[in-house]
Amino acid sequence: MKELFLSKDNYQRFLEKILSKFSLYAPLQKGDFLFYQKVSKENISDIIIDTKRAIHPLKSFFIPARRKVSEYFNSSLTLDQKERVILGAKACDLNALKISDSVYTGEKFGAEYKDPFYISARERTILISSDCMAPDENCFCNLLGSKPFPEEGFDLNLSSLEEGFVVQVGSEKGEKLIKECESLFSSVDQDMIKKREKRREKAFKLLEKTNREFKTAVSYRELVKNSYDSPVWKEHSESCVDCGGCNQICPTCRCFLLSDKKVGEKYERYYLWDACLLTGFSRVAGGANPRKMLSQRFANRLFCKFYFFPENISIDACTGCGRCIAVCIGKIDMRKVFRDLAVERKIPVGLENE
Amino acid sequence: MNNPYQPIKTKILKVITETPQIKTFVLKPENHFKFEAGQFIQLTVPGVGEGPFTPSSSPYDLEKIEVTIMRVGKVTSALHKMKEDDVVGIRGPYGNRYPVEKWKNKEILIVGGGVGFAPLRSLFLSLTHNIKDYKKIVFCYGAKTPQDIVYKEAVLDRWQREFGKNVSFRITVDRGDETWKGKVGLVTTTLDNLDEEISSIPESVSVVCGPPVMMKFTTLKLLDVGYKPENIYLSMEKNMSCGIGKCGHCQLGKFLVCRDGPVFTYDQLKDIPAIWD
Ligand SMILES: Cc1cc2nc3c(=O)[nH]c(=O)nc-3n(C[C@H](O)[C@H](O)[C@H](O)COP(=O)(O)OP(=O)(O)OC[C@H]3O[C@@H](n4cnc5c(N)ncnc54)[C@H](O)[C@@H]3O)c2cc1C
Ligand code: SF4
Ligand code: SF4
Ligand code: FES
Repeated sequence: MKELFLSKDNYQRFLEKILSKFSLYAPLQKGDFLFYQKVSKENISDIIIDTKRAIHPLKSFFIPARRKVSEYFNSSLTLDQKERVILGAKACDLNALKISDSVYTGEKFGAEYKDPFYISARERTILISSDCMAPDENCFCNLLGSKPFPEEGFDLNLSSLEEGFVVQVGSEKGEKLIKECESLFSSVDQDMIKKREKRREKAFKLLEKTNREFKTAVSYRELVKNSYDSPVWKEHSESCVDCGGCNQICPTCRCFLLSDKKVGEKYERYYLWDACLLTGFSRVAGGANPRKMLSQRFANRLFCKFYFFPENISIDACTGCGRCIAVCIGKIDMRKVFRDLAVERKIPVGLENE
Repeated sequence: MNNPYQPIKTKILKVITETPQIKTFVLKPENHFKFEAGQFIQLTVPGVGEGPFTPSSSPYDLEKIEVTIMRVGKVTSALHKMKEDDVVGIRGPYGNRYPVEKWKNKEILIVGGGVGFAPLRSLFLSLTHNIKDYKKIVFCYGAKTPQDIVYKEAVLDRWQREFGKNVSFRITVDRGDETWKGKVGLVTTTLDNLDEEISSIPESVSVVCGPPVMMKFTTLKLLDVGYKPENIYLSMEKNMSCGIGKCGHCQLGKFLVCRDGPVFTYDQLKDIPAIWD
């Protein structure tokens, strides 16, 4: 992969250049969290790309919470074509796109019915990711075999150093963007790469330290197998208030509901985010419901991530981003759920696992 | 734009009242529309919503499609108020079909309950279209009361006259009335003494559709009398929204009912917890 150097000053110029041509979205601090927000000349210097992921899931750029998908029997809905740049996505954000890509554009989930809205939103977006340097106490990508820095799925990736950034070019889109302001970039030297590796190593060590007590000797995929009747689901869902927040904030939760609205004699059809934690999600006519109990729905969410997706596309549908832990009103932490599933089966956990 | 959420404009040609709760709608889509027995469609009532339904007519009839719908809630109630010439929308056909080509020269047992008759009628019409291809068909159906029998005129009379040579009918009601001369009992009772009609149960295939409890007890009984799990075909009903493998509503174990079903063999499902709930 091609690598270049971008100095601190040139980074500012690069952002200004992007802003002059595209709409730009990047993480900005708001209260306790980072949120992707639209960048303007006024807030351009407040962008934070070298700490951790935003709380806001990247999916909302491609699967908005509400979108019109049909309008009576008229097929002339237009798609927004305007190109945009998203800056500061993290490895866990990019990994999550593998899941939504597989569902909306892939071969395994109704290949004949690709979603034109999702596809066009993906196509018109340039993704500039960055290394995660300050994972927080909820992050656990390392437990799922991921790294805190992007390895694929980006157009450009920025690794922050004292003096600027090492830029990796991941696609033709990225290459094209660089070409438009080539003079801002110079070549990298081995010293810079060494520094980058050191910083990456440091972030990884931090993750390992945070998650040491949760590390199970077998994978989460193995732990969910045959766990349907485990009392662990009930124990951990006791404090769940059934809000669906964990679904909404999760970058890989992609379930939706088609909902029709009457407009005069006509109708409009909207696609709305849905949440499998909510009781109506699987209810059928006459009130029958295969997941009546909250503990069943709670378990189902993790079965989906560690059984359904691995069976279908051989990857976990959880990137360890920790958002669901960060937002949960019931203070539920899936790492503890898996720790207890392991304990129940006498599988080593944490320090005893080393 | 190729928009999979966009229905085809469809005219209602006729509405047939089957029972107090069930009506059959004869539909004419604006565009060419072809399905196979077992597949389903998403039917839009404009401004109200959509729901999954299986066509009940013959897949060989390219002029129209029929759907038989029980009134149970929002969309189905709105639909039951619609009349001839009103406009609805359809998307599809979606999902898999009954693998009838695998059933050549076999004895076929069909077991239906209530409105679960709908896909089975389509299957029945498709099988009888090439009736010589199959060794024998046994058609079992159960309804709550004589009033609740759908396609009454066909099941109790016309089909028996037309296909009586190759098909035997076992019709039952849970509760009879003064007019009812036939069998009384749950649909599972029609599976007693099956060996009188079916010469080799281990080779025979069975097809089941009905309410979940009925499917559960029918499947258990079929296993009990010697049907192999891979020869029991079930039409699974799950909550659906998109019908095209995207929305996640119809997940069942590692399957999506809209993509991998709605027709499954019991063999595919037997290890999934709580399939009948
Ligand atoms: C593959 C398939 C084929 C079917 N074929 C037939 C048929 O031929 N004839 C027939 O009468 N019925 C059939 N059904 C059941 C039918 O889809 C439901 O009865 C109908 O969707 C109920 O809608 P409602 O708005 O009237 O009910 P309500 O009780 O008002 O709504 C039920 C709620 O559940 C949601 N929902 C989503 N999917 C379903 C579902 N499958 N069943 C019930 N609710 C659902 C609705 O969106 C709504 O939120 C079939 C179901 C499936 C999955
Ligand atoms: S965020 Fe927490 S409380 Fe809300 S539904 Fe998810 S697990 Fe339950
Ligand atoms: S389940 Fe939780 S940790 Fe995993 S991807 Fe979703 S929000 Fe992140
Ligand atoms: S109905 Fe949407 S995935 Fe099956």
